[in-house]
Amino acid sequence: MNSRRPDDAPILQIEDLSVSFSTATGQVKAAENVCFKLYKGETLALVGETGCGKSVVASSIMQLLPNNAHIQGRAIYAGRDLLSLSEKEMSRIRGSEIAIVFQNPSLALNPIMRVSEQIAEMLQVRKGYPAAQSLELAGEMLHRLGLQGDDKMRMYPFQFSGGMNQRVMIAASMILSPRIIIADEPSKGLDGALAAEVMAEMARIKNQVGASLLLITHDLNLARNISDRMAVMYCGEIMEIGESEEIFSLPRHPYTAALLRCLPERGFQPIPGPSPSMIKPPAGCKFHPRCPNISEVCRRKPKMTRVEGRGTAPAGSESEIREVKCWRY
Amino acid sequence: MLAILKAVDVGRVYESGLIFKKRYAALEGISLEMEAGKTVGLMGPSGSGKTTLGKILAGLERPTSGRIFFAGKEIGSMSGRETAIFRRAVQMVFQDPEGSLNPRKSIGQSISEVLSMLKIPGRRWQEMTGEMLEKVGLSDELLCRYPGQISGGQCQRVALGRVLLLQPQAIILDEPTSALDISVQAQILNLLKDLQRDLGLAYLLISHQPEVIRFMAHDTIILVQSRTS
Amino acid sequence: MIPDATLCASPEIMPEAAECPDENKRQCCKREYSRTERISMSLCSAREVLRMQKMSLVGLLLFLSFVLMAVFSEELAPFDPWMRFEPYLLPGSEHLLGTNDMGNDILSELIYSTRISLFVGFAAALMATLIGTIVGLLAGYYKGMTDEILMGITDIFLMIPQIPLIIVIASFLRPSFWIVALLMGALWWTSTARVVRSRTLQVREMGFVQASRALGFSDLHIIFTDVLPNTCHVIAPKFLLSIASAMIAEASISFLGLGDPTMKSWGTMINFAFTRGGFINGYWWWYLTPGLCITLFVLCVVLMGFAWEEQERTNQRLE
Repeated sequence: MNSRRPDDAPILQIEDLSVSFSTATGQVKAAENVCFKLYKGETLALVGETGCGKSVVASSIMQLLPNNAHIQGRAIYAGRDLLSLSEKEMSRIRGSEIAIVFQNPSLALNPIMRVSEQIAEMLQVRKGYPAAQSLELAGEMLHRLGLQGDDKMRMYPFQFSGGMNQRVMIAASMILSPRIIIADEPSKGLDGALAAEVMAEMARIKNQVGASLLLITHDLNLARNISDRMAVMYCGEIMEIGESEEIFSLPRHPYTAALLRCLPERGFQPIPGPSPSMIKPPAGCKFHPRCPNISEVCRRKPKMTRVEGRGTAPAGSESEIREVKCWRY
Repeated sequence: MLAILKAVDVGRVYESGLIFKKRYAALEGISLEMEAGKTVGLMGPSGSGKTTLGKILAGLERPTSGRIFFAGKEIGSMSGRETAIFRRAVQMVFQDPEGSLNPRKSIGQSISEVLSMLKIPGRRWQEMTGEMLEKVGLSDELLCRYPGQISGGQCQRVALGRVLLLQPQAIILDEPTSALDISVQAQILNLLKDLQRDLGLAYLLISHQPEVIRFMAHDTIILVQSRTS
Repeated sequence: MIPDATLCASPEIMPEAAECPDENKRQCCKREYSRTERISMSLCSAREVLRMQKMSLVGLLLFLSFVLMAVFSEELAPFDPWMRFEPYLLPGSEHLLGTNDMGNDILSELIYSTRISLFVGFAAALMATLIGTIVGLLAGYYKGMTDEILMGITDIFLMIPQIPLIIVIASFLRPSFWIVALLMGALWWTSTARVVRSRTLQVREMGFVQASRALGFSDLHIIFTDVLPNTCHVIAPKFLLSIASAMIAEASISFLGLGDPTMKSWGTMINFAFTRGGFINGYWWWYLTPGLCITLFVLCVVLMGFAWEEQERTNQRLE
């Protein structure tokens, strides 16, 4: 997994990203001061519960948020701030350089077009390849995802199961060899074994293409299995970021620890207390009302603090360092 | 101890086609017993007929073979009054929490329609609603909201609360937590356990997650893929 | 009933109530989901959406002005439409649209006709929608044999050539707008029934209908409180469109002279203009204005219907 060299520069750098929505009931703070770096070739998982703002982060990178969203901060990709690009420039980047895989594959595919043609169309439109060559490449990509054979090429989305359609979506997102793939809950709607299989294929192809993957999911085990690093989000903020295995074995932030205790294999221990409001989030550390080891200082906002990771990879490289947003560190 | 609900050799065959009938056996020869305070776990791959079995036990579908007993009586041979009691005593909670509430009714309306169906006098509604909300751990401020405005976990709690108003003896839980976040899943499973302890409910828990079954169930049944015949 | 007033003791938004995200958070979840929609929406540009809104606004304004015309005919019309002046007067300051062969003021006639035309349209559409909704709900909810029989009947009604049948019956019975409206209502429910049935088939499989059945609610309760409210959005545009087609049919029947001669409608006005020399003499103000009224009214109803349908479709996708 760790093919990354320590001196690699990040391919995507999110700096102080804050997103809020104006709604009838007030300002919803969906993301606050989100910072992370995505390195070349790595898989970074953004995990958190429903509504914690993880998808908002992905959408704001792709400029896919509705008009009532207020976005602050920067998303540096190839020396440019994606958030300040015009719609025209952005649409050139979408798909060919940064691809996004959506949650619901059956909705995102055109029901009256053969799947192979839908994938080939991307090559024809974006790269100007001739039809025959595009189809051939599309077939190759489907083959790599385990959908081989002429009959599969001629099928329509409704003839495929949800899992197969999800693979088609993945094929479509990879066909232009993007440098970054953003996958938003790609395992949703697929049952356990199939989800693992599809994700493993996705990770494999990602490595072949040499892309980086930003995986957005609520499934902690999935994130653990395929990601190199993991960022845990709670109520719009990243609480902890570090190597996936390490976060699992030694969670530093009390929220991460509490979330992991909810896992089936750790005995379904629920997090005490209600989820916070996104309009009036708790002052200071957003987790403090539910935190087991709360102290006076938690009423003030903690900063992202670096902690030494145990690191299996060579130490000293920036990405190997754990960062935790808690006063205890 | 007498089982609340007992299924003996239950099967369900679907037929399709007008002249050339295609028979599809969704279930074959299932027997199980549900006892008060106990949970039966039901596992199996998708398409193995888990939900069909649940619906048959809840009286929502008829089996094509086999017999179902409620409190020792076969449900086919019950009188109208007994059937009504059975219908009320055995309830079902569905998988999709947001879909199991009518999107055009507020939570309060969804609850009061159950109370009015039970012919409970109006002066007791407030008290009963309050008790019920407390049982499932919800605040009464939710009552004016619509299902689209509350979370999946809250929807599932409302669905459970509505079922509890009928004072059932057995509840069929069809993947009650599979659409929820793990933290909410943990909350709901613990709530279900508490309710079982306090009210002596019998559960049939349908799930595809072995950990959930292991955590909840006293007995486990595993269905295998049915065949077409 | 006690209802929600007592149950909803404190309606204000609570920040920290039960377990998971409250409304605000949910709303933000909704935003997240709508992302896929945003892509498809960006395909049909914002301008197009705005145009749609404008069109429905124009439709609504037109519709309201026609309704006002029907309600306040007495106040709006300069004369009694049966009052006789000199016949075949050209448009002038006294009679803005001139007079007809009987010497009736055409503008007043036009305004009074709104009543009958709208009445026939509404009555027929109301009846058609009522029958169609009931048939569709029953067929969709009960499925099986009920469905087969009801849909069989629907197919038979679909095969009846409607206008010729109305002509035959209207020529046998004494011509009356009531009969025309009733006949059209009795013939035109088929498409509503089909639409409602297919939506009902969808709704009845939804979780909350299943849950209501499991809880033991009666079929009637489920049909009227669970299924019907969730089919309204397909019924309403259908209703609007049937108003439009009923009005066109009324006009055609009246034009053929099978309408009620004692009542004034836009169709009968065109008929009289046709038979009493309006066309031959080129008195366009006589026959063109009722035609224009019919066109405008149908247009505004259709505009509203389309906008409504479009709105519901977007809402549904967002859900």
